[in-house]
Amino acid sequence: MLVDETKCIGCGRCIPFCPVQARSFGRAATSGRTVIVIDRDRCAECGVCERAGVCPVDAIHQDLLEWPRQVRSILSNPLVEFKGTGIPGRGTEEIKTNEVTGRVKYGRVGVGIEVGRPGVSTRWTEVEKIAMAVAKLGIEFCAENPITHFMLDKKSGKLDPSVVNEVSLSAIVEFEMAEEQLLDLFRVLREEVDGQIDSVYTFEIAARLRPDGTTTVLKKIQDAGYDMLKVSKNNLGLGRPHFPEEVAR
Amino acid sequence: MTHSLHRRGDVESLKKDFLVLACTAKGFNDDVFAPLGSEFVRICARHKPVNGGDMKTGNLLYVDPETIAQKVSRSTIIEFTFDDKQNVIDTIKELKERDLGISVVISGMIDEVNDIVEKAGLPKVHTREYSLGTHGKTKLLPEWEVLEFTTMCGHAMVASELVKKMIVDSKKGRATHREAAVVMGKCCSCGNFNVNRAVELLEKNAPLWTADYPVY
Repeated sequence: MLVDETKCIGCGRCIPFCPVQARSFGRAATSGRTVIVIDRDRCAECGVCERAGVCPVDAIHQDLLEWPRQVRSILSNPLVEFKGTGIPGRGTEEIKTNEVTGRVKYGRVGVGIEVGRPGVSTRWTEVEKIAMAVAKLGIEFCAENPITHFMLDKKSGKLDPSVVNEVSLSAIVEFEMAEEQLLDLFRVLREEVDGQIDSVYTFEIAARLRPDGTTTVLKKIQDAGYDMLKVSKNNLGLGRPHFPEEVAR
Repeated sequence: MTHSLHRRGDVESLKKDFLVLACTAKGFNDDVFAPLGSEFVRICARHKPVNGGDMKTGNLLYVDPETIAQKVSRSTIIEFTFDDKQNVIDTIKELKERDLGISVVISGMIDEVNDIVEKAGLPKVHTREYSLGTHGKTKLLPEWEVLEFTTMCGHAMVASELVKKMIVDSKKGRATHREAAVVMGKCCSCGNFNVNRAVELLEKNAPLWTADYPVY
């Protein structure tokens, strides 16, 4: 994002709208007037400041982003569509369409590790740390996810060096694995990630439920001592399946 | 990723917070999704959502539901937010009867969702995603009271500083609770932001916060 110093009157109305606090009062380079300046290193290119429509003189605008800075908007601005997923937003369909696609099957789990949420943001060095830690488990990163797309090596989880210093509101490391590997995943996150990253992450696990509404995944999560939130995301199974129905196990 | 399973709050508040969404399955039903998605919008809009929208078009705080319905494309996610359980049950019943054949997801308290599914006459939930909380350098997190607001946006568009300003603005009488809630809600293009819940949170928080936030 850019502020047009010739228009900005330095009122500061846009400052609280920035999710990463990249805006502050400063001096215009040419006139010396008080204007709003943007910390370009911190700015995640989410576009909230412009869409909020709070600037009384229309001084905020989105500049044309060059590589690699444009990855910031792909991961931060929900209106920017990533070609790999074909949908706006920073993740994939994940389990939202599982009854149609059959993506997460019995005995498997879908895992999402959203780095930078809630409300912190992240540099991609931290995303890479997590991706490389979990990659050692031999998991399969979701191909449609933007972060997977930006991996130099999808086996090791290493990111393309040209993007690794970029910043976004969040970035999701997304993969599937066997349910039996969950304890190994919990160990890796606790031993190699939790105390090592300079950001936060939200952690989610998706499982296909048996016809009676149960899953053995839940006990594994509880036994591992995770303090689960009481809210969940639930696919109701109303979509038309495009795969053979599985036998519950 | 709607982030809707990571909403923060106390139990009583979260019992009045549901998200119902429809999602295209790329390569499976995206070629037929647009008209079905439009019908999903019209069905949800009939059952008193407090917000909702399509990230490409905007939310109900500044776009009418029919405009959202007419602009549904083959590659989008449409989302509606409710604060009343019975309205969700009625919505799901109608979606079941209409049998659109597209994916429908509910986010909410686990026990509440199970009850909704049963009362709507559906089999048990097909696939469930559990939230295992927040980890890493958690000292960087904003205050809990701020997270109750910011986690209502699925893409982190509601800034922590804006929440603090709106709490103080409503405390000082510069905005009503609803006006402050709408300012925050407009930042969330998808319509995940539960405006009625935000009003209740402002009513709860405004008396507890000091009013020393910078005036912009």
